[in-house]
Amino acid sequence: MSYQEIDAKMLSKMFLAGAKTLESKKEYINELNVFPVPDGDTGTNMTMTIMSAAKEVTALGENPSMEDLCKAISSGSLRGARGNSGVILSQLFRGLTKVIKTYTTLNVSVITESCDKAVETAYKAVMKPKEGTILTVAKGIADKAKELSAAGVTDLEEFVGQCLEHGRYVLSQTPELLPVLKQAGVVDSGGQGLIEVIAGAYDALCGKEIDLSVKEEAPAENAKPNLEVQAEAEIKYGYCTEFLILLNKNFNIKTEMDFKAYLESIGDSIVCVCDGETVKIHVHTNDPGLALQKGLKFGQLSNIKIDNMRLEQEEKLAKAAKKAETEAASAPENTAEPPKKVGFIAISAGEGLSEIFKSIGVDYVIEGGQTMNPSTADILDAVDQVNAENIFVLPNNKNIILAARQAAELMTDKNLLVIPTKTIPQGITAVINYMDGSSVDENEEVMISEISKVKTGQITYAIRDTVIDDKEIKKDDYMGVGDDGILANGTDLTDVVMSTVAAMADADSELISVYYGADVSEEDAEAIRTKIADAYPNLDVELQNGGQPIYYYLISVE
Amino acid sequence: MSGIAIVTDSNSGITQAEGKELGIYVIPMPFMIGEGLFYEDINLTQEEFYEKLVGGENISTSQPSPEEVMKLWEKLLETYDEIVHIPMSSGLSGSCQSALMLAEEYDGKVQVVDNQRISVTQRQSCLDALALAAKGLNAKEIKDTLENDKFNSSIYIMLDTLQYLKKGGRITPAAAAIGTLLKIKPVLQIQGEKLDAFSKARTVSQGKSIMINAIKNDVENRFGGMTPAPGSVKIMIAHTNNYEAALAFREELLLVFPGYDIYIAPLSLSVSCHIGPGCLAVACTKNL
Repeated sequence: MSYQEIDAKMLSKMFLAGAKTLESKKEYINELNVFPVPDGDTGTNMTMTIMSAAKEVTALGENPSMEDLCKAISSGSLRGARGNSGVILSQLFRGLTKVIKTYTTLNVSVITESCDKAVETAYKAVMKPKEGTILTVAKGIADKAKELSAAGVTDLEEFVGQCLEHGRYVLSQTPELLPVLKQAGVVDSGGQGLIEVIAGAYDALCGKEIDLSVKEEAPAENAKPNLEVQAEAEIKYGYCTEFLILLNKNFNIKTEMDFKAYLESIGDSIVCVCDGETVKIHVHTNDPGLALQKGLKFGQLSNIKIDNMRLEQEEKLAKAAKKAETEAASAPENTAEPPKKVGFIAISAGEGLSEIFKSIGVDYVIEGGQTMNPSTADILDAVDQVNAENIFVLPNNKNIILAARQAAELMTDKNLLVIPTKTIPQGITAVINYMDGSSVDENEEVMISEISKVKTGQITYAIRDTVIDDKEIKKDDYMGVGDDGILANGTDLTDVVMSTVAAMADADSELISVYYGADVSEEDAEAIRTKIADAYPNLDVELQNGGQPIYYYLISVE
Repeated sequence: MSGIAIVTDSNSGITQAEGKELGIYVIPMPFMIGEGLFYEDINLTQEEFYEKLVGGENISTSQPSPEEVMKLWEKLLETYDEIVHIPMSSGLSGSCQSALMLAEEYDGKVQVVDNQRISVTQRQSCLDALALAAKGLNAKEIKDTLENDKFNSSIYIMLDTLQYLKKGGRITPAAAAIGTLLKIKPVLQIQGEKLDAFSKARTVSQGKSIMINAIKNDVENRFGGMTPAPGSVKIMIAHTNNYEAALAFREELLLVFPGYDIYIAPLSLSVSCHIGPGCLAVACTKNL
């Protein structure tokens, strides 16, 4: 069949087909990742982004108006956007729909104009547009559209087909533009994702049968901005117990280890930090009395806080149910308390890191990170939870910054400021440098300037063989990933940690902070601390239980 | 002899010996350490103080007794016409309030200056008072001049540890703002009366750069702008048992304030006992 024009019904079908095709190629696109780290996969992120829009499109039924359809595509993808390529994809759709929503049917010239707008919008959304990426592929397609339109092509099947073919060619050239792609022997994954979307749409245009049903289940439960969700499954230890011991006895490493071992025998989620004079204890246990009695052996107790987590959970569930009721009935909830001036949201994975962020004043932690990039909507949901006029958002991952910025743009009633932190230690530094007395603008400036002074090394493993930064990396190798590339790799974890630290520490360094992950035992972490402290006797070495997944160690040097 | 006597307390950092040399009378501050009563620079040296502080002894501060203050005033009034009394900041101690009350009985002969200075800035006020007296101002005029200038001063202090601050239970807003999981070096400020939180650092060099920027900002925006040495302000360093670091800090400050005469002194012990050893502070006052 041949078309000169397409209507909203056809466009809806094409969009859903594009989404389905992208979804079916998700795993393949995930594997095009340059960094062989188990990270925020492009295929997954783009699929979640487009599926969020597809859900809204499906809800419109088979015969939507062009305007409603455009709105569904634009707002659905904007809110569902996660990861950099997801955000760029959502911006492409936003630009595209800006033009076509003013028409009822689309011909070659309208589509050409909308492609142009799409590319323009997407380039603007990225601070430093890089060639050899999804942007380049989109631009190539828009240019081809202009060329075909000018040449007088009016048949849409031919038009889309040729654009797609040219897009594939541009994609194949991306390794020539980005050396990292060439070295890794892959094409750009975001560009590949875009091609899949257009290929699906083209198939639909050509009348190919595609299953267009969109499953109702919400994508990405894993990045839900609710720390407590995991706990709701089953609470093993019922009392969250916290207190300080004001020491009147010697409390050395040995007593500390014994104390922790004792706490482990009665509960979990243990924190036991000694600063010489006081010891801070945190434990989830079924018998808080045992922990308190043990503490009394070393001195007086203070700041005792015991919460019944089982009751809290019931209350929370009841409250959530009630809230859902009232929300359904009335406008969004009105918090009685006046908003504070400034709040903080951090994105972080691991209980230890969440505790650290909260201890330095972060109001809300969105559980997420490398393998689970929260979407723009997840960030907006978190913003709802923080009653403040100005909210600083710390993405703590380079693949989340764009989604956070997008959230800031969609936000109207609160001032959202994104501090572009690329790592957890940068996020911690940003919060620490916040000064209560200064203005929001001054603070933003100071935080942005301070985060550049922290060096981060992240220790993880390779998920496949590759060559990057001229380093040959084997699958399952340990790797130290620095701010600008791979710092070390090898088969011995300790060696890799030490080489990573060596690559970061210099004459000006003063403090090495080590956050150990969920897959590292406390003993191993202590051993690493000792080894680093021995190697750098003039530096302070601080060890913290981060509890993060994927990364054995997060190490910062400042 | 007639004229004006300048009296201060040992919080100014002026030692008994230095006081004699300058012609300033220094009242020693009393400290309760364990069960004993000690007087700064009389039967308690800086070294002994820090030894006891680090050793975990309970140290509490107290005001000079009214009797001692009045005895000194009366003795001085036998030879001087008037007294300018410059106690530590009324925001940090009741000494000033007590002195103001006592002075009421001296028919204006004793002028108590409430200009909220401490440590090196208090010392500077004493030197300023001497200079003003030499110019021929009377005690009341000296008091007014110093008090009119009271907000033209700031101090930033970087603590080595939160331990002493927490123990003392003082300065709760500062301590409350800072979590305890990470090792953090708080930077406090004294603007006029209050000792309050200013910022936080994780390393000494971060803390120093925060303080240098803060002082630079104060000079530029509050104290009339940066001027070449000797400058329109005085820059001073105080420390708690941390002289070597203070020397190095001076070099760094000299890069921002080239040619300035930067005075270094130990921080007053009544502040030190709340913040512990290893602290570094920079202070700035506008020249009168």
